[in-house]
Amino acid sequence: MKRILKITFIVTALTLFFASCVKDLNTTPINPKLITPENAYATAAGYKQVLAKCYAGLSVSGQQGPAGTPDISGIDEGFGEYLRAYYYHQELTTDEAVVSWNDFTIRDLHKQNWGSGDVYVAAMYYRIFYQISLCNEFIRESQDSKLDSRGISGQDKINCQLYRAEARFLRALSYWHAIDLFGSVPFVTENDEPGKFFPTQISRADLFTYIEKEIVAIEPLLIDARANEYGRADKGALWTLAAKLYLNAEVYIGTPKYTECITYCTKVIGAGYTLEPKYKNLFLADNNTSNEIIFPIEYDGFKTQTWGGTTFLVLGGIGGSMVPADYGMGVSGWGGTRTTKPIVQLFYPDLKNGLYHSATPPKNTKAYPLVYCPGSYQGWDPTNTSTVIASKASDSKYEGYLYMANTNQQFKFCTTPSWDHNFGGTNGTLVPNGDNINVADAGYYKVNIDTAALTYSVVKTTWAVIGDATPGGWSNDTPMAYDAASNTWTITVDLVKGGLKFRANGGWDINYGDNGANGTLEEGGDNIAIPEAGTYLITMKLGIPDYTYILSMHSYDHRAMFWSDGQNLEINDVGVFTDGYAVTKFKNLTQAGVAGSSPQFPDTDFPMFRLADVYLMYAEAVLRGGGGGSSDGALGYVNAIRERAYGDQAGNITSAQLTLPFILNERGRELLWECQRRTDLVRFGQFTSGSYVWPWKGGVKNGAPTSAMYNIFPIPSSDVSANPNLKQNPGY
Amino acid sequence: MKKRVLWLRYLILFFALASASIAYAQEITVSGKVTDATDGSLLPGVTIAVKNTTTGTVTDIDGKYSIKVKKDAVLVFSYVGYMAQEITVTEPRTLDISMSVGTKSLNEVVVIGYGTVKKSDATGSVAALSSKDFNQGAIQSPQQLIVGKIAGVQVTTTGGAPGGDAIIRIRGGSSINANNDPLLVVDGVAIDNASTSGARSTLGMLNPDDIETYTVLKDASATAIYGSRASNGVIIITTKKGATGAKKFGLEYSGNISISTVPKTIGVYNGDDFRALVLQRYPNTPGVDTLLGKSNTDWQKQIYKTAIGTDHNLAFTGAVSTMPYRVSIGYSYQDGTLLTDNMRRTTLGATLNPTFFKNYLKVNINAKYMNEKNKFADQSAIGDAVAFDPTQEVYAYGNKAQTIPNAYGGFWAWLQPNSDPVTTATTNPVARLKLTDDKSTVSRFLGNAQFDYKLHFFPDLRVNLNLGMDYSWSKGAKYVPTYATWQYVNHGVSNTYDQTKKNSLLDFYLSYMKDVKSISSKFDVMAGYSWQHFWVNNNNYNGNVPHDSAHADTIIVKQEYYLVSFYGRFNYTFKNRYLLTATLRDDGSSRFSKSKRWGLFPSVALGWKINDEKFLRDSKVVSQLKLRLGWGQTGQQDISNNWYPYLPIYTQSDRFSMYQFGNVWYRTLRPDAYDPNIKWETTSTWNAGIDLGFLKDRITASVDYFYKNTKDMLNFIPVPAGTNLSNYVWTNVGSMNNTGFEFTLDVKPIVTKDWNWDIGFNATTYKNKITKLNISDDPNYPGVMVGGIAGGVGNTVQIYKVGYPINSFYVYQQVYDKNDNPVEGLYVDRNGDGKITPADLYCYKSPNPTFTFGVNTRLTYKKWSLAASGHANIGNYMYNNVEANRAVYANIFRANGPWLGNVTTSVTNTGFTNNQYLSDYYVQNASFFKLDYLSLAYNFGNLVKNTLNLGISFTVNNVFTITKYKGLDPEVNLGSTLGIDNNMYPRSRVYVIGVSLKL
Repeated sequence: MKRILKITFIVTALTLFFASCVKDLNTTPINPKLITPENAYATAAGYKQVLAKCYAGLSVSGQQGPAGTPDISGIDEGFGEYLRAYYYHQELTTDEAVVSWNDFTIRDLHKQNWGSGDVYVAAMYYRIFYQISLCNEFIRESQDSKLDSRGISGQDKINCQLYRAEARFLRALSYWHAIDLFGSVPFVTENDEPGKFFPTQISRADLFTYIEKEIVAIEPLLIDARANEYGRADKGALWTLAAKLYLNAEVYIGTPKYTECITYCTKVIGAGYTLEPKYKNLFLADNNTSNEIIFPIEYDGFKTQTWGGTTFLVLGGIGGSMVPADYGMGVSGWGGTRTTKPIVQLFYPDLKNGLYHSATPPKNTKAYPLVYCPGSYQGWDPTNTSTVIASKASDSKYEGYLYMANTNQQFKFCTTPSWDHNFGGTNGTLVPNGDNINVADAGYYKVNIDTAALTYSVVKTTWAVIGDATPGGWSNDTPMAYDAASNTWTITVDLVKGGLKFRANGGWDINYGDNGANGTLEEGGDNIAIPEAGTYLITMKLGIPDYTYILSMHSYDHRAMFWSDGQNLEINDVGVFTDGYAVTKFKNLTQAGVAGSSPQFPDTDFPMFRLADVYLMYAEAVLRGGGGGSSDGALGYVNAIRERAYGDQAGNITSAQLTLPFILNERGRELLWECQRRTDLVRFGQFTSGSYVWPWKGGVKNGAPTSAMYNIFPIPSSDVSANPNLKQNPGY
Repeated sequence: MKKRVLWLRYLILFFALASASIAYAQEITVSGKVTDATDGSLLPGVTIAVKNTTTGTVTDIDGKYSIKVKKDAVLVFSYVGYMAQEITVTEPRTLDISMSVGTKSLNEVVVIGYGTVKKSDATGSVAALSSKDFNQGAIQSPQQLIVGKIAGVQVTTTGGAPGGDAIIRIRGGSSINANNDPLLVVDGVAIDNASTSGARSTLGMLNPDDIETYTVLKDASATAIYGSRASNGVIIITTKKGATGAKKFGLEYSGNISISTVPKTIGVYNGDDFRALVLQRYPNTPGVDTLLGKSNTDWQKQIYKTAIGTDHNLAFTGAVSTMPYRVSIGYSYQDGTLLTDNMRRTTLGATLNPTFFKNYLKVNINAKYMNEKNKFADQSAIGDAVAFDPTQEVYAYGNKAQTIPNAYGGFWAWLQPNSDPVTTATTNPVARLKLTDDKSTVSRFLGNAQFDYKLHFFPDLRVNLNLGMDYSWSKGAKYVPTYATWQYVNHGVSNTYDQTKKNSLLDFYLSYMKDVKSISSKFDVMAGYSWQHFWVNNNNYNGNVPHDSAHADTIIVKQEYYLVSFYGRFNYTFKNRYLLTATLRDDGSSRFSKSKRWGLFPSVALGWKINDEKFLRDSKVVSQLKLRLGWGQTGQQDISNNWYPYLPIYTQSDRFSMYQFGNVWYRTLRPDAYDPNIKWETTSTWNAGIDLGFLKDRITASVDYFYKNTKDMLNFIPVPAGTNLSNYVWTNVGSMNNTGFEFTLDVKPIVTKDWNWDIGFNATTYKNKITKLNISDDPNYPGVMVGGIAGGVGNTVQIYKVGYPINSFYVYQQVYDKNDNPVEGLYVDRNGDGKITPADLYCYKSPNPTFTFGVNTRLTYKKWSLAASGHANIGNYMYNNVEANRAVYANIFRANGPWLGNVTTSVTNTGFTNNQYLSDYYVQNASFFKLDYLSLAYNFGNLVKNTLNLGISFTVNNVFTITKYKGLDPEVNLGSTLGIDNNMYPRSRVYVIGVSLKL
């Protein structure tokens, strides 16, 4: 008995003791980097960090850049990034883009042959709902009662309320993408806490009403247009969203709302945004300085890295003979995206065989013996290697071109980059250590010396093209212009089939042609053949031999930014990068031509909403019969865009030319690759069916009609199965 | 918390008991000789142990022995291959024994969870192997000892890297996304089998030479006592203990020298053929010919070498007074066959197993320590060597564009016109190996102290306390210079990391055993408690060269979790023939919320020893016949990288993933997806088995049928859009079952004094099927695409789909022309809608074998022995990623650069120009038979009288493989890439000369 007592005692004691160990199970995270909601929302600064994620959801793929801890799974992180997925849906499905890669079903997008099991469609869908869930969470956590319970008051509270309104804007933006791409979708708001449930499916009409109501509700809560920090949404962004929703209302709900569209466009236009003076600057590494961009998605070479976004836009389109460094990139391009012929023809209506491009001259100039030409025009610097002349035959005869920006300059010749061996001279005779040579006029001079015969000549030149291909024929010069920054002579000119040469000073004393059509010029060389009539850009670079030129078809419209060298206009094989023209619009270069901070990831932001788009929406809504706008206003806005594109009024149109088909084409020119095209084509009834076909639409080289079901994307089959409330879109 | 108090309490108890006086009984001397019962020959080396003590002796060369024992001691005579005998001695006498051959001692004991059981009394599916059964030759990790040896246990080495890591699957694994590794218990310590940073193998701290037995618990009735961690089976490893003989001191040495070779490489074009191919394929593309070099470089030859390894093990055994000990030192030096790969591993082991108070208190102390120094080769070089242009030289520049001498480390590389590297081009594999400096040092300590005390006042009750710890410290650094082409844009790599892991364990149980003869019943009841704590701290400092803030990042992960369990087992034996085992375990895990935390895991098993029934008891033919039937449930909570799946957590972005407001970049905070109601995954297992023995167990066999059903699977799967903070969430969804048969056969066709021949054979067949995968139960659910491959971006070739085995291939059906050649890009329109979309993908085959078998044999003649072992998988398919990626002509020339790349010669089988990643052509039959080793050994016997035994052996590992598979090796199992063969580190063929010495 005593024994049993002992045992009982031991067992009881141990049981009590072990029971207390069970409390260990209530462990909480010990990692200081793991943050609970209580920590995250303890301060307004914490709220701002969560808000930053709501924005970053559009930009990066996860919490590690460029990849590592993805926001959504089941898809490669690059593909799952919001903008890249959006581009795939809005551009790859249209005439504006094809891709050569062989990744899973990626080519089905351009063929308009996707199914409900498509991983890219799923990536877009889940990315949209990720963004909506993320914003829901923030909206839930930032309601006044929660702010109060967390002791956030005063200015902090006002800030958090603004953050909340911005999150509601971002949610509305994604719901707009949902209604546009998928139609009728699951509907969740901040009232749906994370858990296991089946969201109901909202009709396209009800979702339209919901977004409309949200826009009305958010408007007074948001900060005035252009008054927020860069990157954050303001009333301008909201108005643009509203304008886009209403412009497409007829597609979404069958009821036109063009008047409402004009109302919101007018608000944006009156808010003080201005067109960026140079179109190309909108897509450069420092485009954050532009006053045209209403709402950007931001990227940065080091701080905001992704395999999607503008990294994809820049690198994805570099391939063939393109040199990555020309686009500010230090890594090789991905050789993927190009555009189709109809898009090129928007800029070159008569183009048939492709953009002619003369032979690319050798990139590296041969190293000839040099004579240095220090002078007052360049600061008397005998080491300056850009002001030299060279001996092509490595003999005593040197030749080259020097540019004197001002009048009354003096200079000398040095045979080494120092003053040790210098020549001056007068009247064509070289004198060692002689007097400075005087040049009275400003201009571009051909300079020759002979160090054996001790002679020199300095002849002012102005350059022109002449020939039966040129407007002046073989009798009249067509003058070129000198560009001091690039040290080139250029001209944009309409040429006809025939030949041309370069000549100076209206005579044949100094003239260059091209023997062997290799891109290098020879004195008195052969005529340069122009194979086809068209607008050409001619660039001639003299300086020191070898003298070179580039002659390529060109558009007066500066928005034409294509790479045609080595590319075919026609796409015979979608999988070959050199079939189709590359688009060189997005670059990782600043306006000054300097590469962005990182060789791998561009600094370039993406202009999600910008003023020119609003101008065009205004004009279209007016043309479609919306009230509250004016035809004159519409024409004025369109011509403002045209004037920027052409650099002068040469491209302006008349009111008779301002038609709906013109608007669609102009949107194609202005907004190429800016993720507008699919929505535009759907609105114009030209996305599916046979009203408009383009290369490889429908999987056929010349294009084929497709079913109207492809006007919206399927709800991914994985979600249809996961959520019994969902009904698949018709046809899928 | 209280654990420190507890340790203290038991230390006090231990010393109090140890200091008690010990009385000795009267001693008597017994001597005699031992002979073979069949031919009367004398048997040297027979072990004579005094039961329940640590004393004993062995017979000498003339079969004679002499031993001093206490009165009434029980002597146990045992000899390998013979049946053991027990004899009680009461007075000094001569005791001659004749022993007869038999295969198994009837009293053979196997280790089970928290205790032992006589093999003949086991009711569950338990397989045991002892050191004599282990694989031989170049064994670098404990897992390699049992490759192919046990039915239902699939051990796959991960490749040819030194260190010999392997993946073990018992009856095919029970989860989709949660851990499928079996629980490993080493000397009573359930170890953490998550990988250790910088370490080669999960079991590296264990010297294979120190291992005494391997016991595999396969069915739930055997494993349920381990509850929450036992769904994938349990492997119990015990290490060798101190001497239990009269011999006070023993010394054993074993060592080997091995030569590893790469048996086979991928067939690619040589320089001359490649030049011809390039000119043939690109006759009109300007500039392509100028890219060609003049060399004939076999890049695979450049990166592989014949590797030398050596292994030394030294063990001291003996006893200091009543304290037997064993101390071992092991040293292993192994070069990889891949250039620059090297491992140096030192292991130390020590065990003490003293007993006190006439065996009332048994203490078992084990300590194992490992120090591993690694130099890792960058294995990307394997794929690079297949792909690199064979016309280029390793060092010199052949391309005119490459004008910078000695840049990029002097290695030949593809360069852009401005002399920057072409970043999309293949990296020079030799540069990759030689310019990468990737080192680690790992230390790991595994120790435990086990106290087993029979209560003085109540000897039927045993108290067992086991305190264990598994600590590891590792650190490493990876350095790639700025001029390495593949890291050029990143300004090189300079990463350092360190990791500390501390896992602690406390196990306590009470065991009560009673034999109540009056009712012919035996009771064995056990109840216990277990507490485990897992703690890890990872610090990763990633940066470039030299560290600058724009490129550097620090990632600190520090986490812990706890498991607390109560468990009990009831064994009941009626009339020595009818067996019942019931277990119950209640597990709590800190991974789950309070309301979902506890899981209850029961099991029941019945056994019937038919051979002990009257009608069979005296059978000369049937020596063993036992039926087993068991059912049980086990759990799973190990979702490796997610230790708080039920808590809402915000993750801060790193410095490359910030967002800019105004002029300030903000580190963002992301609310992560979570399931507040996540709970245990449960696996129910049915097992029915029969054990057979014939002719005194000269022939033994077992057959088991099992059915495993996992429900509430811990799954990382898509959830309805909008319902959580990501599209995939860790949650309990889905179920899956595994059904199969196992068969084991051991035959001893020849057993004579000079000749001995053993043959072992085992076979397993099982089927895996997913039965549920999402919460809505939609029969049209497409499934979850998995199995990412190399090539393109985001391509997958496998699926989890209801009704199919996990990781079924999910591909397009290739169309063949009339000559049976695949037609490029043409697939069967399986749904007949006139176009090829993902709806035409279909489930085609699985990487899991339908049938596996292992065979091993050993033939001994006097002092010679010849052993071999092999294993086979039948019906397993493999996605040949190397071919899918490299066997296309499009790889030859890339305008984007431009650069050239080699293709595999198998390109002629398809003639494909472009990659057809999703074609079922690349899903190839990977059935195989491998002869794992062939070993010839000679034992010289004792060189000096009664001592200094010398043995030598010659072994070849990985002797040959018979397969139809077109790739390098049909056996690929890297866990995450099951069934996808992509540039695996080739398994070496190893030639080993071994020496063993015993003193």
